[in-house]
Amino acid sequence: MTRLTSNSIELPGVLEAIETYFENGWSDGLPVVPPTPEAVTATLEAANLRPDAILGIEPVKSAVITAEKAAINAIMAGCKPEYMPVVVAAIGAITQPEFNLHGITVSTMGAAILLVVNGPITEELGINSKTSAFGPGYRANATIGRAIRLLIINVLGTRTDDGLDKATLGHPGKYSWCIAENEDDLPYGWTPMHVTRGVEEGKSAVTVFPGLSATQFGEHEANTPEGILDAFAQRLYPLGPGLDEVAIIISPEHAAYLEKARWQKEQVGNYLFENARKTASEWTAMGLPSGAQQENNTKLDAIERDRPISVLSSPESAIPIVVGGAGGGWSAVIPTWSNGSRAKIVTRAINLSK
Amino acid sequence: MTQETIRVLDPTAPLSIATDGMADRPESLAGMRVGLMRNSKMKSEPLLDAIYDVLAERFDVAGAYKVDKGEASRPAEPKFLSDFSKEVDVALLANGD
Repeated sequence: MTRLTSNSIELPGVLEAIETYFENGWSDGLPVVPPTPEAVTATLEAANLRPDAILGIEPVKSAVITAEKAAINAIMAGCKPEYMPVVVAAIGAITQPEFNLHGITVSTMGAAILLVVNGPITEELGINSKTSAFGPGYRANATIGRAIRLLIINVLGTRTDDGLDKATLGHPGKYSWCIAENEDDLPYGWTPMHVTRGVEEGKSAVTVFPGLSATQFGEHEANTPEGILDAFAQRLYPLGPGLDEVAIIISPEHAAYLEKARWQKEQVGNYLFENARKTASEWTAMGLPSGAQQENNTKLDAIERDRPISVLSSPESAIPIVVGGAGGGWSAVIPTWSNGSRAKIVTRAINLSK
Repeated sequence: MTQETIRVLDPTAPLSIATDGMADRPESLAGMRVGLMRNSKMKSEPLLDAIYDVLAERFDVAGAYKVDKGEASRPAEPKFLSDFSKEVDVALLANGD
């Protein structure tokens, strides 16, 4: 273990330390756990990380995220040392060029980073995937997501108070946004999301989404896959044609109807791609595509005004994820920044080797 | 009882790239070729055109050189910037949704 190299400050006590982090702009607006050298060293040792190990480099600003800075910010967020493998994998994922981390974190569109964790580590760490998965009350969910945001503030320098984060409205998920997939309630024969995305079965992984605000909807009457997916389609239409990537958050109640009808996972995207369509005239009448979509997404053919154009650019554009608790036919769609045209969802395996 | 202090660590990291300050400003725009770099967003071009029209009206500029850097959310490639800088004396950039 090499020595820590971060500057240190000596303060009269814990409360003074918390205030100092507020004053220095080192917080997300909530109190942080003061990161002492002892706590940082213990976290790095538990995770078997050298302080100078480079976990990721944000490509635009060449901002280097070392294990030492990751541990400091994770402790500030409230993470336990055993959460570090998830934080490390998430850093690896968000710094992949295709995720466009700089773009999504400074954009007026205001995406937050949604972390979805899969595999056995979710149970080991207690990452909630069931009742109120997107809500409060679970330390692992709250603090792993917060650690990523504090790193963006402190190491990437992308803060809301000095101008780099230009989000017009902002996003509550910028405080923290981390869930697990509810693998217990996956319909029979479905692979968990990380396996669908290429990670070996039985391993754990984190998938990062440049997520915009979710639209939750109730569908309490339909009891067929078609009826449920038609309800999803109604929430996809306002996003416009040609979506490249969108999270389809399926509640267990809705997932059970898909299982009852023996639907396989790929049928979700196939059905939406084929059936969630409007003609060019209908899209135009809705005012879509709008804004940047006009240049980046599906072009509406000026001649074939009656040709049905799908809300998705391909069947794979729909990313089904089973999330939530028993009871209640509440599902959601989570659009991604630029609708997936200029920032891509990334999955990274979580390395637990010691 | 002695006062217990606490030692804590700085969570920030200096950026490894140089952060240049503002470029030197010319004394006059007379005879200058004005670069207009839009970023592919819809309103970046009309915004730059409107600003250029005002400059051309007030100063004896030597013309405009217009480029589109493409993809608004990513930096321009170094060669693109280098080629652009060879063509212009001053430059305006715009972002417009």
